[in-house]
Amino acid sequence: MPLPPRWRKVWRDLWLHRSRTVLVVVSIAVGVFAVGVVAGTRQILARELEASFASINPASATLQTLAPFGSDLVRSVAAMPAVAEAEGRRTVYVRLETAPGVWTNVQLIAIPDFRAITLDRVLPVTGAWPPPERGVLIERSAIGLVQHAVGDDVVIKTPSGRRKTMRLAGLAFDAYALPYTLDGVAFGYITYDTLAWLGEPRDYNELHLTVAENRHDRDHITDVVEQVRDKVERDGRAIFFMTIPEPGKHPLDSTIQGMLLLLGVMGALALGLSGFLVTNTVAALLAQETWQIGVMKAIGAQRQQIAGMYAGMVAAYGALALVVAVPTGILGTRAFTQLMAGYLNLTVSDARVPPAVLALQVGIALVVPLVAAAVPIVAGTRISVREAIAAYGLGTGRFGTHRLDRWVERVRGLSRPTLLSLRNTFRRKARLTLTLATLTMAGAMFIATFSVNASLTRTLDGMLELWQWDIAAQFSQSYRVERLRNAALSVPGVVAAEGWSYTTARHTSATGGGGSSLLSFSVPLIVFAPPAESRLIKPPLIRGRWLVPQDEQAIVVTTGVLDDQAGLDVGGRLALRIGGRDTTWTVVGVTQGIGPMPFVYANYPYFSALVREAGRAQWLAVVTDRHDPEALGGIAEQLEAELEQAGLRVGLIAEIHQERAEVAAIFEGILALLLVMVGLLAVVGGLGLAGTMSLNVIERTREIGVMRAIGASDLALLRIFVTEGMLIGFLSWALALVVSVPLSIAITRALGGALLGSALKTVFSPVGAAAWLGIVLVVAALASVLPARSATRVSVRSVLAYE
Amino acid sequence: MLYGMAFIRIQDVGKSFETAAGKFFALRDVCLSIEGGEFVAIVGKSGSGKSTLLNLVAGIDRPTQGTVDVGTTAVHRLTENQLAAWRGKNVGVVFQFFQLMPTLTAIENVMLPMDFRGVWPPRERLDRARRLLADVALGDQAAKLPAELSGGEQQRVAIARALANDPPLIVADEPTGNLDSRTADAVFALFTDLVRHGKTIVFVTHDRDLASRASRLITLSDGRIVDDTGGAGRVPVGAGPPAAVPVPSAAAAARVDDGGGPP
Repeated sequence: MPLPPRWRKVWRDLWLHRSRTVLVVVSIAVGVFAVGVVAGTRQILARELEASFASINPASATLQTLAPFGSDLVRSVAAMPAVAEAEGRRTVYVRLETAPGVWTNVQLIAIPDFRAITLDRVLPVTGAWPPPERGVLIERSAIGLVQHAVGDDVVIKTPSGRRKTMRLAGLAFDAYALPYTLDGVAFGYITYDTLAWLGEPRDYNELHLTVAENRHDRDHITDVVEQVRDKVERDGRAIFFMTIPEPGKHPLDSTIQGMLLLLGVMGALALGLSGFLVTNTVAALLAQETWQIGVMKAIGAQRQQIAGMYAGMVAAYGALALVVAVPTGILGTRAFTQLMAGYLNLTVSDARVPPAVLALQVGIALVVPLVAAAVPIVAGTRISVREAIAAYGLGTGRFGTHRLDRWVERVRGLSRPTLLSLRNTFRRKARLTLTLATLTMAGAMFIATFSVNASLTRTLDGMLELWQWDIAAQFSQSYRVERLRNAALSVPGVVAAEGWSYTTARHTSATGGGGSSLLSFSVPLIVFAPPAESRLIKPPLIRGRWLVPQDEQAIVVTTGVLDDQAGLDVGGRLALRIGGRDTTWTVVGVTQGIGPMPFVYANYPYFSALVREAGRAQWLAVVTDRHDPEALGGIAEQLEAELEQAGLRVGLIAEIHQERAEVAAIFEGILALLLVMVGLLAVVGGLGLAGTMSLNVIERTREIGVMRAIGASDLALLRIFVTEGMLIGFLSWALALVVSVPLSIAITRALGGALLGSALKTVFSPVGAAAWLGIVLVVAALASVLPARSATRVSVRSVLAYE
Repeated sequence: MLYGMAFIRIQDVGKSFETAAGKFFALRDVCLSIEGGEFVAIVGKSGSGKSTLLNLVAGIDRPTQGTVDVGTTAVHRLTENQLAAWRGKNVGVVFQFFQLMPTLTAIENVMLPMDFRGVWPPRERLDRARRLLADVALGDQAAKLPAELSGGEQQRVAIARALANDPPLIVADEPTGNLDSRTADAVFALFTDLVRHGKTIVFVTHDRDLASRASRLITLSDGRIVDDTGGAGRVPVGAGPPAAVPVPSAAAAARVDDGGGPP
């Protein structure tokens, strides 16, 4: 049975108006593609993250002790009824030479038996397995940092200051380790024989354990960990660090969810904008075919039959969009998943897009355009035959009746063609509104992305104001402050040096400490005790005051500490266990921290006496006379050498610009992804404008003919339409400026909350606004040139016969 | 066909439109009866209300006041949707600008009303459309798109389309207004033939010569009927009710000039 004529009309309309079909299909496809990529990536990452994380048998908790312990303690913890498995490891911080004279921090984890790792499994990637004696496996995400190839010999400096040459024996994958780019620490794995060769004792300072029951019950885990902690402390080992990851979740789970949520919003936005475009196009299509609708009604078509035809056409647009969006979506999902996996140090073993995502794409490709087209179809097919067949000739689109039109009419002093462009812009108000909405959203997201970047920079600058030092060194043990200062001040370029107390503490009322939305971890409080009059720390105080020299039992805390202690504020009291001692403090001030880590500041003289380390320090803060990264690197090397020479065992060296780069790295990936999505939005916006302008040209063919007849040149016609397009672009830019303000605030709040545990200070980006103005004008000009060119091809004769 | 009662009955009909300048009365107190098989021309100056009257007869528009009955149907009482369904079966509409679907071929345009109303079984539609096109001497142009046909040819396709569902009433608004005189003559001959086969035709024209060839001439001025002549002069109707497929004479078809009229 041949296709009935009305469906043949639908099919031929699709084919004969190919450029319109392509425009609408591409617009829908962009939205469906974006949603498919985001949903697919989300599902694959969630699936792979779970599988990858489960395969390493993650520990329920990890305890680090200040003093080492032996196998007896590990066995006795493992024998506790509430504990399923326990495993000891030893972590040592070394410095690794990446290039002659250039050193980086590496956390070496000694594992007793690589073939029998039960908890927090480390998996082989390339090279030897297990690592040979005097060999090290480097976590694969850090291979770019160490700047050596597998098989190379690398030089390290041990905690005791000795230099050793080791073989870079291979690469390992540690799903539990945060990637170097996000954490700033490179991980290495060695055997206990190698540990002994490095001069370190064959004991443990890290205890990994899993609970026997209710492995996903955080409260239960906390109870068990408290029992273990008490046991360890009774054994005479003070706890230095204790982490309880969110059960069953990857350490970066909340970060990934935050990123995907943001991308999901962007995908939905792209889809919504393509929906606008469909609304616009179908409205224009129906307006253009008004007389055909009238004639069909005149020869007996009922409204639902005509509505069915146009709905069928829209469904065909959706189906064609699927043909484009599904394969490109699968490719996009794979690429995006790999990008995210690389960024997050994940292994994706199966990148197949789940059928549910394909079903989602099919659903939205068919449903969203129909929903978007419903209003114009209902409105367009409601027209009576008389109105429909009377609607011909010049003057489609009313101008002059609206208040806005009268304002526009008052514009004087422009040439007639420019006035025509200006007034034509406001002729089809519904169409203009939808086009502006599309471009405005794209623009607002673009400017907001730049503003988020500027806000991040400002916030980071603000946070790093806290540290007025340029280089800091952390030592494996405490040394006399004078000895540290003398060594540092003898280095050329060092102008000031201070020794601070540095340790960890925990609330005695609760396990762990400040929760961190970034890490999904429970972590201890980090205590810094600088001299009260120190000029090397400048905390951005939110409430209360900074420490004064007379302060005793007084602390200043970061907002991260308050997150975990409901009701605690200035004037409140905080009970802390520090180095095995129970102490009580009064909060005198609250300050902004760096990231979500909970920091506590105490007065050096009182604190050092309290922990029986008077006159000694574990942390050295240094100010240099030059501040550029290159100069700082040079001074840091000399400082390290000088400290070594003085017999001081350096654990870590931190340079302020590296600290900044680590925090910034968390954002860079997200900003890049945001910009990709903004690009998609800009494409949809540009297509929307191109569509609007072509419809305007088609609709005004008769007017173009008349203008031609009275002498309009090609250039004059081109100018009229391009000016109109650019005017729309400019208007959308002005609106985008306004919309970007609340949008920037919302995104910076959401991102700050998800990634830093506190809101970023929102800064508006003039660069973003200026850049978008340039982009939108170029896009508008390009989107108008092609339709305008088709206007110049209209001949007077054809127009007079045009129907 | 309703015997013993006029086929079209228009009673006290008024039609007004709201315009920016206020209310505009297109028709005032019009009363009119048209018998089945009449060939009626409506003439008048621009704005006299002739197209409005035609639209009311065809159910394209509804009166502001009064009643319009066609056959047994009170057209003024129907909703837009009911009007469409009624029109599809009972009225063939011919427009001045032909108004063929530009993306459908001639034969598909003719099949379209059948498709909408489902009067004919799907298998018969193609054959019927072919016969109708042959009747208007366009059997060999069936596969062409409107743009490939001359104005006269397009108007003949439009007439074939108007006859698709075999309606008893044909209305035409300036059917020859866009055609040269020779082509207009040929189209007019087709109309005459249709009336001979029992169709009722009501058309609007500016052309007094063509109008004078109708059996009845109604003149409108300022929305009122000012003259109604020749009501008795019906074209003789063939025996019995109208044929399912009107067959214009070969002579009428041969008179059609394919070369005339703008495309």
